[in-house]
Amino acid sequence: MLVRRFPRAVGSLPLLVAFVREFFAERRWDPDQAYDVDLVLEELFTNMVRHARGGTSEIEVGLAAGDGALTLRLRDEGVEPWDPSQAPAPDIGRPLHERRPGGLGLHFIRQLTRDLRFEHVDGTAIVTAVLQAPR
Amino acid sequence: MFRLDTAGEGTVRLIGRLDGEEAERALKAFAALEGSIVADCSELDYISSAGIGVILATLQRLTRAGHTFRLHPVQPRVRNVFKYAGLAQMLGIE
Repeated sequence: MLVRRFPRAVGSLPLLVAFVREFFAERRWDPDQAYDVDLVLEELFTNMVRHARGGTSEIEVGLAAGDGALTLRLRDEGVEPWDPSQAPAPDIGRPLHERRPGGLGLHFIRQLTRDLRFEHVDGTAIVTAVLQAPR
Repeated sequence: MFRLDTAGEGTVRLIGRLDGEEAERALKAFAALEGSIVADCSELDYISSAGIGVILATLQRLTRAGHTFRLHPVQPRVRNVFKYAGLAQMLGIE
């Protein structure tokens, strides 16, 4: 697994994109196929930045590939137990004037992942998301 | 990096990546738009939920004022995100 730590800030997003491109380049994958990985990673990372209580100054991100899957793992140390998977799904069928943007990030993640797991072990939140690997 | 360019009367171009880092700045740019708008998204390479929030807020504001807000054309991957969000039809994307 390729692992790196990033400052806990939305300003890290360009660094995350570069990290994903580096991972793709190592495997000679087409960078045009990175959209879904970028999206899932941004949504998970910004969720941690905005909603996790406590935490160190950095969040660890890992990427791994195998068996046709791409696995994303985020580790956030020193945070309170936190499981966004319990949040209700957004009602995307509501009329326009009643629509709110909240909850869409997790909704997108669920659309794009084969497997999604939230754990909290010894003060560390670990999120593992599995996507289809590019072909 | 995200950019909103005026392309003519009632037409703008959205360029680059509309993500969580760019959303706040983008919202200020969209707030200056008035009247019915068609946004050319052929060079919009990426949008996340933060960017969708900006587009939703703009659509709601312009619709309340009696105007329309349409996105055309839109790249396939970006279009998928609008579909996931249940906004494709409201924005004239199909």
